[in-house]
Amino acid sequence: MADWTAQVFQNEYLPDGGTDIHAIVTVTSKGTGQAGESGGAAEAIIIDCSGSMGAPRSKIIAARQAAAAAIDEIADGTWFAVIAGVGLAQPVYPQTGMVQASDRTRSVASAAVAQLTPQGGTAIGQWLLTAFEHFRAAPAQQRHAILLTDGKNEGETAEQLRGAIEAVTGEFQCDCRGVGADWDVPELRGIADALLGSVELIADPADMAADFQAMMQTAMARGVADAKLKVWAPQGAELLFVRQVAPTVQDLTDRRVDVTPLITEYPTGAWGDESRDYHVAVRVPAKALGAEQLVARVQIEVGGQVVTQGLIKALWSDQTELTTRINPAVAHYTGQAELAQVIQEGLAAKADGDTDTATFKLGRAAQLAAETGNEEATQKLKKVVDIEDPATGTVRLKRDVSKLDEMALDTASTKTTRVRPS
Amino acid sequence: MNCPNCGAAVDADFAFCESCGAALTPSRTTAANPVGSVDASARTQPTTRHTEPAVPPAPPCPNCGGAVGSDGWCTVCGARASNGREHVIEQPAPTVAAVSDRGRLHPRNEDAFAVASQDGWTALVVCDGVTTATDSDTAAFAAAQAARNLLTAADRPTGSVADRQRHWSLQVKAAAVAADQAAEGTATGGDANPPSCTFVTAITDGEVIVAANVGDSRAYWLPDNGPAQQLTTDDSWATEQIRAGVPRDEAEADPQAHAITRWLGIDSPEVDANTTTVTADCPGWLLVCSDGLWNYCSDASQLREVVDKQPAEPLARAEALVAWANEQGGHDNITVTLARIGDVF
Repeated sequence: MADWTAQVFQNEYLPDGGTDIHAIVTVTSKGTGQAGESGGAAEAIIIDCSGSMGAPRSKIIAARQAAAAAIDEIADGTWFAVIAGVGLAQPVYPQTGMVQASDRTRSVASAAVAQLTPQGGTAIGQWLLTAFEHFRAAPAQQRHAILLTDGKNEGETAEQLRGAIEAVTGEFQCDCRGVGADWDVPELRGIADALLGSVELIADPADMAADFQAMMQTAMARGVADAKLKVWAPQGAELLFVRQVAPTVQDLTDRRVDVTPLITEYPTGAWGDESRDYHVAVRVPAKALGAEQLVARVQIEVGGQVVTQGLIKALWSDQTELTTRINPAVAHYTGQAELAQVIQEGLAAKADGDTDTATFKLGRAAQLAAETGNEEATQKLKKVVDIEDPATGTVRLKRDVSKLDEMALDTASTKTTRVRPS
Repeated sequence: MNCPNCGAAVDADFAFCESCGAALTPSRTTAANPVGSVDASARTQPTTRHTEPAVPPAPPCPNCGGAVGSDGWCTVCGARASNGREHVIEQPAPTVAAVSDRGRLHPRNEDAFAVASQDGWTALVVCDGVTTATDSDTAAFAAAQAARNLLTAADRPTGSVADRQRHWSLQVKAAAVAADQAAEGTATGGDANPPSCTFVTAITDGEVIVAANVGDSRAYWLPDNGPAQQLTTDDSWATEQIRAGVPRDEAEADPQAHAITRWLGIDSPEVDANTTTVTADCPGWLLVCSDGLWNYCSDASQLREVVDKQPAEPLARAEALVAWANEQGGHDNITVTLARIGDVF
């Protein structure tokens, strides 16, 4: 039985007339066990086999090895299928539905992926729908896919892709990987966000096998198939936002399901032994000095049971030394969320040729990365801009930036660092 | 399980349905000793009850009437459930009275008292829950009860004044240790800010008066013929400043003045309470209180002026002192326990 805890970090003191409360809730799970322990697990590996995967040939060779590395990590008894992404999706193994992993099925699957050949186009929506058909044939509740692509979704319309994402949202989780410089970061991020997965750039095909192996190991170590984040706010309150802020920034607003007028619910997918931080902001009508109010219950629900709860409170006070403090965790993650936003906006402006906006946004990013101690972001920013003064956010756009460096900055933009010990 | 009224799924621990507010379990308001109730038997008999802190009942939300969750907060408006201690009175003997009040600016009363009196023997205990720690009202209640119970159960030797002073000095120290253990027992584990509270007690055994304290709750002796005396020394930042030569007014006006340097609870070191003994050579008033009162009249002579203006009947006097502190602003919880002693030695 998994052990859950929720810890709340906030300044509960509001000044006279104050209405907005911000808190960071750290949810930690321990002893979650192995994937599929309750209700079975299923894995789909979707490998882009479009023509471009053969140029250079190192890409398709790396993809075969990566698929085999992932197959090796699938635990006995887990249902799985390998799908080749071409104009339409083609089953690689098995031909229909899914099979349960064993030494025999893993070796047959590995032999099959060694034959993958580049042909056809990229229609990611079709691939997702095909994966869903395979999942539906397996008696497993915990469903996870790995999707690899090297290109933009050009084999179908954006509308078709959107429709496919909608059709499979909530049906399985999907970690997305892009290899090379010809895929579209926001496009793949949109898929990963909707399907509660990660998105990463694999700049060098040689790194792909290790990444696939790690991804499958992580998936196999998620013993809790599905957890929901539930947020209660009192009558008359307004839930300003609920945002995951660690390990990555994810605005959860679009995933919101209203359970009752006071309770909203957000899917969080499967959990291993890990810790995630959520930033919850609530607006309540101001109360008299000395008054106290619960402004949110933040709960994790697994299988219909609340397994942990954090309480966010407000206390109105005339003591300015209490009300003017900003909680360090709230300040840190507010900065990290803005960092992700300005990196993405800065790169988009740069792509549009809007140099002024790009310089301003990426300058702010350099400033925030320095302030919040996000060394990874600073290093990646330095490949795109010359940072003249991180304190003021003064930067100059570099000439001749490698596309891969921009994509690395973009995909890593949502990764956050934890609060530095004070 | 499901709500019998509306059928919604409900947590088995909940006392009320989150959807419709219907009660899910039989009312628990019939608890043997609801926190803060006036026990009628206590007026005429010595309080020798050894009751454990009662489970607080879960009536509907005092603010909106909604259901209160098992976490102690309303499931509709977010108000904290009452701990039943907004205004508590007790009078265990005609000469002894205790009143505790929420004050005006704190959302709830985290002070607690426990008092007992019999045959010229009286014990007054006050504990003030530390607001910045979690569930300190529970710690304060448990600590005060434990100390009072220990003192009530102690032997009452009939030796010389010196013998009795020695005996009661040991007993009040033991009471502080018992109170600390009780406060520690309210910690739920894993809390960064475990429940904690101050402690002060004063007992009178005939003319012998012995006081002990940890933190900044106080005992005063106000003899009819003679200057008023503060019996306890605060374990507080302000006291340390005064000891270092800072004028009292200045030290007590500092924002840190009330930061206590010793307290009861799981995060405090072993307790060794300071004790003071004094011999009453004339009738007078023994007063044990929290800082919600003395913050407005810290100096013993100032306090005496305020006390002397109030009605002479002990309960009326204690009520009047609480009302006076509220008139001064009621910035903190206010607890006043009083014993009129020595009219018949």
